[in-house]
Amino acid sequence: MAVVAIREVRKKFGSAEVIHGVSIDIADGEFVVLVGPSGCGKSTLLRTIAGLEEISGGEIAIGDRVVNDLPPKQRDIAMVFQNYALYPHMTVAENMGFSLRLRGASKKEIETRVRPAAEILGLLPLLDRYPRQLSGGQRQRVAMGRAIVRNPQVFLFDEPLSNLDAKLRVQMRTEIKELHQRLKTTTIYVTHDQVEAMTMADKIVVMRDGVVEQVGAPLDLYDRPENLFVASFIGSPAMNVLEGRIAQDGSATFVTSAGAVLPLAHAPQGSAGRAAVYGIRPEHIGLANDGVSAEVVVVEPTGAEIQVFARIKGEEINAVFRERHRFASGDAIRLAPDPAQVHLFDSQTGRRIEGADPDQTLGEERRLEKTT
Amino acid sequence: MKLLTLRGVATEAKLLLIGIPVLLWTLLPIYHMVLFAISPKDTALSGALWPEHPTLHNFAVVFGEEHYYLSHFWRQLWNSFFIAVTTGVLTLFVATFAAFAISRLRVRGGRAVMNLALFTYLIPAAFLAVPMYRTMGVYGLLNNQWSLILAMVALASPYAIWVLKQASDKLPYELDEAAIVDGASQMQLFRLVYLPLMAPSLVAVGTYALILAWNEYLYAFLLLSRDTAIPLSVALGNFLAADDSPWELLMTTGLIYALPPAAIYFVFKRYMAVGLTVGAIKG
Repeated sequence: MAVVAIREVRKKFGSAEVIHGVSIDIADGEFVVLVGPSGCGKSTLLRTIAGLEEISGGEIAIGDRVVNDLPPKQRDIAMVFQNYALYPHMTVAENMGFSLRLRGASKKEIETRVRPAAEILGLLPLLDRYPRQLSGGQRQRVAMGRAIVRNPQVFLFDEPLSNLDAKLRVQMRTEIKELHQRLKTTTIYVTHDQVEAMTMADKIVVMRDGVVEQVGAPLDLYDRPENLFVASFIGSPAMNVLEGRIAQDGSATFVTSAGAVLPLAHAPQGSAGRAAVYGIRPEHIGLANDGVSAEVVVVEPTGAEIQVFARIKGEEINAVFRERHRFASGDAIRLAPDPAQVHLFDSQTGRRIEGADPDQTLGEERRLEKTT
Repeated sequence: MKLLTLRGVATEAKLLLIGIPVLLWTLLPIYHMVLFAISPKDTALSGALWPEHPTLHNFAVVFGEEHYYLSHFWRQLWNSFFIAVTTGVLTLFVATFAAFAISRLRVRGGRAVMNLALFTYLIPAAFLAVPMYRTMGVYGLLNNQWSLILAMVALASPYAIWVLKQASDKLPYELDEAAIVDGASQMQLFRLVYLPLMAPSLVAVGTYALILAWNEYLYAFLLLSRDTAIPLSVALGNFLAADDSPWELLMTTGLIYALPPAAIYFVFKRYMAVGLTVGAIKG
């Protein structure tokens, strides 16, 4: 177990820079998820930590050692690959014990290290099988077993669940989290799936185009996205974003470009008439008689909730209700965004405009409720 | 349903119509060879479809080295074995390391080597026979079996490297990375991960080089001249030096000479299919 410090790391492939000075601090025992759309540099960053790619600038430290120039085997890390990368000609036991064998460990020592790891992962009955005889989930477990056996300072996961079907993915998600709680090894986990990031991480690092957009606890990112990208990336279904202006007359309202008037808790100081982007999550929209009139387009019931796609003056908006409203396409309804949950962003930079949600403390309380 | 079966039969018949003549065409020379081998000397050229008194006498003559042309039969058979096996092993050695370096370690100049390997296809081996003779002369290797072995390795290696490189490229690169993270050195990676996974292709390529050397005539004829140094292929050619060649003995020896490649093919059949198709498609 160790802290990991990534300082101003840059990575160039030829003349193209794909990581532009990324800094992340990872505490001892922390589960950090790097998330972002494909091509954002998250996997490359993970590979530089593993030592499979050299960095072009900056510094990576594991524990108190700067590892910039160390080969992977001296970094004391273990990595789980997207396609598992199990050695097809070795049994499960041989796969798990391979790193020990390379170090020249005795057969007995290998066995005493492999068995407990296999037990944790429920692989004991499969030790003599070959990877081709295993299911996807079992292979995934062997790949993790191979990492556990080494008892490294840091676990690195590169999209480990993306080859599994949806049901198994949810199950393995829980297993990995449970494993982390048990071993408490510092973990860096790469995924493009924000749900995985939200459910597993102690800390999420959202990346885009080789830069870090925001770092924070899952619910911090959800409650206070720093910019439009994080706002629309985190949360499912995604946040509604509507372009427009803060009302000229100083009232706590927002006027969309199509002319719909939406509520704010209160307008940020000196912002009357400012061009901005109005963000509201689907689950923070209710129904009220004094709401904004909208026309239902599509209704998608999932059982637990109903997702409604509606139009406000021609602009698409998405709302989620836990109550079983009986809507049909074409119905006129009145939608009421919760003013306390509105996010405002600068229309030029996409950065968050502070002061739109006065009840920041209320947000904190709600967050505490959720985490405890 | 019935119509379908009828159509199936029709297709099958068409295939048979093509297949049977091709099969006969292929087997006819072999039939002649067998016919000669089991015929007594005086009836060998009689033109009968089957000898009146089939005999194994010819085999006894060959194995007993009881003819002028056969006085070094066992020695020459051994020469063929030695040259073929050594060529196979050396070609594998060269090609495996080359393919590993180019495909897995991604050394500089790997592409150039691959292009050169492909380029050598364009030059028929026969064109190089005289330059090769000259080169071996400079090295003082003429009449030494190593000259033939080295020449055959040089001829077999480009194709072997090409096939093995293609096969290597199909192994997921994550395996190497997993092994590197696990702490493997390059040699450990080669020995413990790469070689076992390449085994089928290695068998195919090794067999290819072995059979190429076994069947070689021109280079063997040029580079080796002592009766005790030449392989059996050249010795077979020498039968034709006389006006009245002992055809039945030539064919008997030829039949014996053709058996090892056939045996190797049957043993390694399943590997050959895998290995030879690997190189077929450019990845």
